[in-house]
Amino acid sequence: MKCECTEKISLLVDEELSANDAKEVERHLLNCAECQQARADFLSVRSELSAFRSNGPQVSLRNELAKILAAGSSQLPVAPRRRSFAWSFGPVAAFATLIIASAIIALIFVRSSNKQPPANSQVAAMPSPQPVAPGTEAKPSPEPEESPRKDAQKGQTKEPKNAPPAPSRRPVPVPTPRPGEQFALNSEPVGPADAQTMTATHFEKSEILLRSFRNVRIESGSVAEVKYEKKRAQQLVYQNMILRREADASGDVQSSTLLENLEPILLDIANLPEKPTENDVQVIKDRVARKNIVPLLQVNSAALARALD
Amino acid sequence: MASQDDEFTKLFQDFYPGLCRFLECLLGGRAELAQDLAQESFLQLHRTAWGTLPVGEARFWLYRVARNLAINEFRKSNTRYRLFDRVVEVMSPTARNPEQEYETQERKELVLRMLRTLPEDQRVALLLREQEQLSYREIGAVLNISESKVKVDIFRARTALREKWTHRAKTVGAGAKS
Repeated sequence: MKCECTEKISLLVDEELSANDAKEVERHLLNCAECQQARADFLSVRSELSAFRSNGPQVSLRNELAKILAAGSSQLPVAPRRRSFAWSFGPVAAFATLIIASAIIALIFVRSSNKQPPANSQVAAMPSPQPVAPGTEAKPSPEPEESPRKDAQKGQTKEPKNAPPAPSRRPVPVPTPRPGEQFALNSEPVGPADAQTMTATHFEKSEILLRSFRNVRIESGSVAEVKYEKKRAQQLVYQNMILRREADASGDVQSSTLLENLEPILLDIANLPEKPTENDVQVIKDRVARKNIVPLLQVNSAALARALD
Repeated sequence: MASQDDEFTKLFQDFYPGLCRFLECLLGGRAELAQDLAQESFLQLHRTAWGTLPVGEARFWLYRVARNLAINEFRKSNTRYRLFDRVVEVMSPTARNPEQEYETQERKELVLRMLRTLPEDQRVALLLREQEQLSYREIGAVLNISESKVKVDIFRARTALREKWTHRAKTVGAGAKS
């Protein structure tokens, strides 16, 4: 049986419901196993997609950016983007390509069937293949498929419909930066393993703190006992700032965004008065629920831990 | 001029890795092509729209152009890349920890395989939501579609992926038992 609320669960995990609708759906969630499962599955899909790490960019961003700025400001006609195998070869070249391709397929087949991890020294000595010989083809690069039919927001978007052909942008190995170079960007998209471990642990600790905070019970009219949560949030907020900067610097957008969302909540808990009222606590609880941050912390710490295993 | 370049540098620093990841998922794992297209998008931004675009719009502009460039690539033959990609995969130096690398690669390929089964508009909408954390309104602006279409596309994409994952979990579970 399909519960009719499943679509709303999708909106709930995206925080696209109004506060009232969100409350209603959350109440429904308490009694509907199917929707609980849907939410868990949707969050799991999110976790898989956000844990996806790009194979690139592996070369210096500094170099790529410098090229773009240089090409962009020169306004000179630039070389076209390289294509894969040259289909514009003549028949003889095509035949030769076919023979080479067959040899490569045979090599792949042999290597795949005997696939064993080679010794590190051999691996290091093996050269990486070059994608294509430079200048094998000189077709202009494509224009964007189509410009959007109309601007979605006023005053925006000069579409690059007739933009000039773009240059070859295949990454090239970059020597170490010379002193005084203009840009100082990181070359690695993912932070070091230490930072990832710390982030995973931080997510876990924050999740425990937020769960504990969520369970703070206040009798009407009395003050809440949040000494432990306050102290813990004060400890975590500094770590959060450091890890967020680390994630920003290493281009780990997923962790950085989550840390960015977490930070104001930790700050609010850390800055609670000694004797907070029911309302003080409830406001933060509502924000935690609205941002759906506890499940996000859970899936992200699990994803990071899996990646580090 | 210097400050414009500084702003562009900041934009590049903030969004280039994310744009590469988005394109790589969209293109079924062709990382080098993804980098090419990401750089091309930034180049076009710098040449044609930088300076005229409101600050907050540059990101959406980039994703819109990148997605259009990716669609152009879809329309060309996909097959010509397959052999080359396979060569790169086989010839590439292996990581220091082959087991871990293998698992990560498996996982990535599974995600890419499943994403490939989704219709293109659903895939783009879902990636913009899950990886780039754009709101429905922002996704609508990038793709030039209504928010309700974004809502439906994302829901359908999620439901399809969910079914595939569940089906796969059952198949793997059954395989492990037998």
